[in-house]
Amino acid sequence: MRPNLVLAFDTSAAHCAAALLSGDRVWLKSEAMEKGQAERLMPLITELLAEAGKALADITAIGVGTGPGNFTGVRISVAAARGLALGLGVPAIGVTRLEAMAFGLPRPVTVVEDARRDEVYVQRFDAGGAGVAQIMAAGVTFTGAVAGRDGLQSLPIAEAIARIAAARAGTAQPRPAPFYLRGADAAPSSDPPPVILEA
Amino acid sequence: MTGSLTFLGIESSCDDTAAAVVRHVPGQPAQILASIVEGQTALHAAFGGVVPEIAARAHAERLDHCVEQALAESAVALADLDGIAVTAGPGLIGGVLSGVMLARGLALATGLPIVGVNHLAGHALTPRLTDQLAFPYLMLLVSGGHCQFLIVHSEHRFERLGGTIDDAPGEAFDKTAKLLGLNQPGGPAVQTEAALGDAKRFAFPRPLLDRPGCDMSFSGLKTALLRARDAVIAEKGGLTVQDRRDLCAGFQAAVADVLAEKTRRALEVYAALNPARPALAVAGGVAANTAVRARLQTTCAQAGVEFLAPPLRLCTDNAAMIAWAGIERFRAGDYGSADLVARPRWPLDATAAPLLGSGKKGAKA
Ligand SMILES: Nc1ncnc2c1ncn2[C@@H]1O[C@H](COP(=O)(O)OP(=O)(O)OP(=O)(O)O)[C@@H](O)[C@H]1O
Ligand SMILES: [Mg+2]
Repeated sequence: MRPNLVLAFDTSAAHCAAALLSGDRVWLKSEAMEKGQAERLMPLITELLAEAGKALADITAIGVGTGPGNFTGVRISVAAARGLALGLGVPAIGVTRLEAMAFGLPRPVTVVEDARRDEVYVQRFDAGGAGVAQIMAAGVTFTGAVAGRDGLQSLPIAEAIARIAAARAGTAQPRPAPFYLRGADAAPSSDPPPVILEA
Repeated sequence: MTGSLTFLGIESSCDDTAAAVVRHVPGQPAQILASIVEGQTALHAAFGGVVPEIAARAHAERLDHCVEQALAESAVALADLDGIAVTAGPGLIGGVLSGVMLARGLALATGLPIVGVNHLAGHALTPRLTDQLAFPYLMLLVSGGHCQFLIVHSEHRFERLGGTIDDAPGEAFDKTAKLLGLNQPGGPAVQTEAALGDAKRFAFPRPLLDRPGCDMSFSGLKTALLRARDAVIAEKGGLTVQDRRDLCAGFQAAVADVLAEKTRRALEVYAALNPARPALAVAGGVAANTAVRARLQTTCAQAGVEFLAPPLRLCTDNAAMIAWAGIERFRAGDYGSADLVARPRWPLDATAAPLLGSGKKGAKA
């Protein structure tokens, strides 16, 4: 069996981040950017592989950040992960940004992350598992340990995704799908159709 | 490149998620080994038009399934491919981006070349996929999102003679159906009603026919339909089935008139090139309209020009045309570039003045 090598990446917010995880070794690359992730992601992955001295063919699983976050950013990574997985014949595993932020922290912990529009994404993790992810008003306060905001420091997101994906890689996983948490903001059309009279 | 080429095509620029495998051996007709198209009509039905974010969400989760299905159906493995062609624009950016990223992931993983295809070039080159049509030919793209006349000089040179300055005719058909309480997509429904109606009862304008050139306008027709409808409703409190048929007939006749006359003018410009096998090819869903088609056929016959309409499944959005356009470009020496980007706007003819319109389905070209 070839040794496990997980490639993970995330573009769900103002960054382009990737990680490689092989056993206990981690290689990381992350760049802050508001836009341009679609152009940067593949070169970043190629550079990361080169730095680690690994080849694409060595990858045994892909971890990808599914959000919540920037809709377009999330789709950039999810689509790329599905393409890479299909091309390499390896599984792609979705990890939410909130799961990644909670990774490795003592539980219980509440993850709170900026959702823009004066709102935050919130999810509580305790020893038994994860609560329901929600959107709340930004002003809300929490008791107990909080990750994100000014609270506990999480692992770099791509590394956390890689570690979670590595743990899940042994079992069958659904294809990664964007985790939007927000609706598509589409209003049903308003004008009613005309009355049709009996002849 | 003189040997056989097999390309995967990927399309996600509007509301159809599509993947196809096309093989071409020089000197022989191209073979469509598989062409998968997954529509989204039901997803958008409640909103009276394509909602970009809903479309983007669907593409992101469907594209890889379509690719797998196309490969399975064609019994072609990734390793048997010579390249990947993907729609890189113009269109709804969310969908285009998903297609481009999927293709880039596939290309990085397999080492295959990736060719970014202009969606409109895909439509415009379809007559060569289906009928080996020789350059130069005249093309009328008439769909839900586009309406333009192009002289196709080569696989990369498209000369735009004119186009709609506002809505596309398909959009006008859809809007008409909506205003009259008919089902979507509106084109087929309006056509069915129009067949039983009196086209002369309501007077519809023929926008821009009084102006020289090949530009068109369809938004005024929509407004005229709304006024005529409301006048009847004001009088009777509703529409009878026959009112509706007459409105559809009048509207459809106006669209057909405008398209026929503008086609006649475009054919005149095209004739000056003295093409060896003069031909007009159509693409787009509205080309399926029997009244429009009959008028175009007559116009072509009068001009001594062959009329060519590829089968409907290759006239509407599909990925076989994208794979084919990729093959054409590849043969012409464009081996693509791994750093392909998505382009929401991408006029086929960069030298022509930009068209004003940006329809409901998003800015096109
Ligand atoms: N018989 C018909 N008569 C008139 N219009 C029709 C007919 N059949 C289909 N249409 C119209 O064609 C359009 C769909 O065609 P098509 O799939 O080519 O375009 P689209 O995908 O909506 O837009 P585009 O390809 O420009 O992005 C719809 O607007 C539909 O109403
Ligand atoms: Mg379509």
